[in-house]
Amino acid sequence: MDAYLVAVFSVVLIYALLAIGLNLQYGETGLINFGHVAFFALGAYASALLALRGWPLPATFAVAAAVAAVAAVPLGLAALRLRQDYLAIVTLGFSETVRLVLQEERAITLGVQGVPGIPKLFGALGGRATDLAILLALLVAVALAAWATHLLKTSPFGRLLRAIRDNETAVTALGKDPARYKIQVFMFGAALAGIAGAFYAHFLTFISPEQFVPLVTFYVWMSIILGGVGSLRGALAGTLLLVAFLEGSRFIRDLVPGVAEVQMASVRLAIVGLALILFVLYRPQGLFGRQAS
Amino acid sequence: MTLAGVANLAVNGLVEGAVIALPALALTLVMSIARFPNAATGDLMTLGAYVAVGVQAVLVGSAFGAPLLGMAVATLAAVVACAIVSVAAYELIFRRLGRAAMVASLLASIGLAFLIRSLITLVVGHEQHTFALPLVRAWNFGGLRVLPTDLAIGAVALVVLAAVFAWLHFGRSGRLLRAVADNPDLARLSGIRAQRLMWLLWALAGVLSAIGGVLLGVKSVVMPELGWELLLPAFAAMILGGIGSPAGAVAGALLMGVGQELSVPLVGPTYKIAVAFAVLFVVLLLRPAGLFGRPELAR
Amino acid sequence: MLDVRGVSIEFGGFRAVDGVTLAVPPAAIVGIAGTNGAGKTTLFGAIAGQLRVARGEIVFAGRDITRLAPNRRARLGLARTFQVPREFGSLSVLDNLRAAAPNDAHESLAAAWFGRAGAARADGELERRADDVLALTGLSTMRDQPASALSGGQKKLLELSRALMGSPKCILLDEPFAGVNPVLIAQLLDVLRAVHARGIALVVIEHNLQALKAVVRRLVVMDQGRVIADGEPGAVLDDARVQEAYMGGVV
Repeated sequence: MDAYLVAVFSVVLIYALLAIGLNLQYGETGLINFGHVAFFALGAYASALLALRGWPLPATFAVAAAVAAVAAVPLGLAALRLRQDYLAIVTLGFSETVRLVLQEERAITLGVQGVPGIPKLFGALGGRATDLAILLALLVAVALAAWATHLLKTSPFGRLLRAIRDNETAVTALGKDPARYKIQVFMFGAALAGIAGAFYAHFLTFISPEQFVPLVTFYVWMSIILGGVGSLRGALAGTLLLVAFLEGSRFIRDLVPGVAEVQMASVRLAIVGLALILFVLYRPQGLFGRQAS
Repeated sequence: MTLAGVANLAVNGLVEGAVIALPALALTLVMSIARFPNAATGDLMTLGAYVAVGVQAVLVGSAFGAPLLGMAVATLAAVVACAIVSVAAYELIFRRLGRAAMVASLLASIGLAFLIRSLITLVVGHEQHTFALPLVRAWNFGGLRVLPTDLAIGAVALVVLAAVFAWLHFGRSGRLLRAVADNPDLARLSGIRAQRLMWLLWALAGVLSAIGGVLLGVKSVVMPELGWELLLPAFAAMILGGIGSPAGAVAGALLMGVGQELSVPLVGPTYKIAVAFAVLFVVLLLRPAGLFGRPELAR
Repeated sequence: MLDVRGVSIEFGGFRAVDGVTLAVPPAAIVGIAGTNGAGKTTLFGAIAGQLRVARGEIVFAGRDITRLAPNRRARLGLARTFQVPREFGSLSVLDNLRAAAPNDAHESLAAAWFGRAGAARADGELERRADDVLALTGLSTMRDQPASALSGGQKKLLELSRALMGSPKCILLDEPFAGVNPVLIAQLLDVLRAVHARGIALVVIEHNLQALKAVVRRLVVMDQGRVIADGEPGAVLDDARVQEAYMGGVV
């Protein structure tokens, strides 16, 4: 298979992991997480920095997931007490703060320059074998994540999540504390994003704070809205469309001479902004999925 | 840290707080009436700054080239531009989302923020710009260094805030707006003409954002992330002060400004946003309705 | 069973409930009536835990629950229904009940992944219990319908059915007859009597005094945050103060 397509599909699968996690948080439980990129970043940096210190990759991936999950705990606690819009702002602030810390703590994270020379996943295989191995590993990861999410949705836990999303006060009045469940969902979604980050780091072999801007969070939001919130298949389909768009914009640049990469970045930002507005106006069912809006 | 050092930070914080107060006020009014946090406020500030700096650059060398006059005209242009954009956003987007869930308007406002920022960079590019103002030396009061520019900024902010408050308390439409902000059900109950009031609200939000952006641009530099970086402190100020309370927003903003500056010796100048976030987080955890907010609005 | 002692609830400076004392013995049916704004729903809010008590205390089954979180009170056996039904719209009626039932052991991430068999068995048991409850409340035919498809009256029955899944000792019903058509009212009355027959105490807020009279043995009337009458329905309704509170309305 063409090396380019392998790379593109790898990116699709990385975003798919992000989308599956966010879909669970918002689509199933109603948590407005505007800081998803923070878990992505934490996973990427955790895995990269440990790998550079000689840790074996399976261990760094596990730590990436764990770090992201633990980081989700304070946000989870916040989610319990805060109304939806406050949670959105707080999670946004959290992701910007994480990015700031990554930028500033040069001693640990090498700051704005980023972290180069990250060991490539399956690098020992060399050449095309490495690329295919990464793709395969991602396929397995996404399949596992999707399976775990499916099991979750079809379990009593999943049923309760939907109940919380539909009417949280009633859940409390029936003797259950929504807090416990929200935190678990937050942590699981964050862990998935952390693993996505680890894959990202060991795929690109270079990470820097500016790759983890809020725009990425909203890329993922666009994916899940495109596919219809709450639907696992929708999240995967939406991710495909998203990456197609991102890659497609690159081709446009090749077709139209004189368009600098920086300008393309602005064009992409404009389209994402416009798309968010249009989706919200004209495809509200994408925002509320199967739930009655 | 000497007393003069602390005083310097405090003064700088007050000036920053005064600037933050403008978008915070816009946020709190829109939040209490339209019931969602308008994430486009920051980038509207950026728009205002760019319009002003552009107009000023054009005017330099002409009859309006004198710094103060040029600034006045430039600011006026920014105010008009942002008011129009703000009201247009309401008409085209937020009014149609009126009955939809809050997350819809919130996402749309994020989209709008991205759209504004991207259009600015497409038209003008990513470079930084500064306002053409004469360089002035700081005044020194025995260790307390004060930049005349900062004083001017603070003064303008205070004048604008005072004018808005006067309008909210004594102007007919202003009092109506404040009443509705204080008690959103009131509008529906007493049949106050909603449409005109909403246009006023959004225009005011645009005006405040524009002036805030210009002042911020004068204080630092005009760049694409200018307003977005102030969004979190402005939100924090709004929540500190309690939603729907204009005075609370201003008080919150001043607190945030001073707090951020006083934290500099501890965490360095680059962590101001983190400080804003930390304050926001802690306040909300302890008092989910904000410091002066009403608990009924908390859930 | 439920002991409300001198409870006052304040909003800002306004006292919505003023020194209310009310004792509900086990397996009693008590009605609470009063004009709008008398403080009935506010009182419920405090008993159920959604509102803070400014003064006084609430004791349930021997425990002081005045400061207890709402979900903990429900676990002690104190259930409530809401004035405006709060159904889980995207779930079926059956799943509404299963989500309502205590199921801690199987409602966790770990159970979702590693305890499927146990969870499935528990769900089977919950289904049996749910069918039992649905038969009692008359919603059996709607078992597999999404809750959003129910009529207003049926949603009220659903609220009650959900509350029953927790094996409560006492249920607070907030205006169960409001907006329900007359045919369904008769059914609802039967359901309440059947629930009561199981030994569950019921406290019912209601404006519909006819319906209330048909099912309660004791009536409490509130006005402006205070209890102005408490006793046998007939006697209470003849009470001059009650008549005055209703200002000549048909009592």
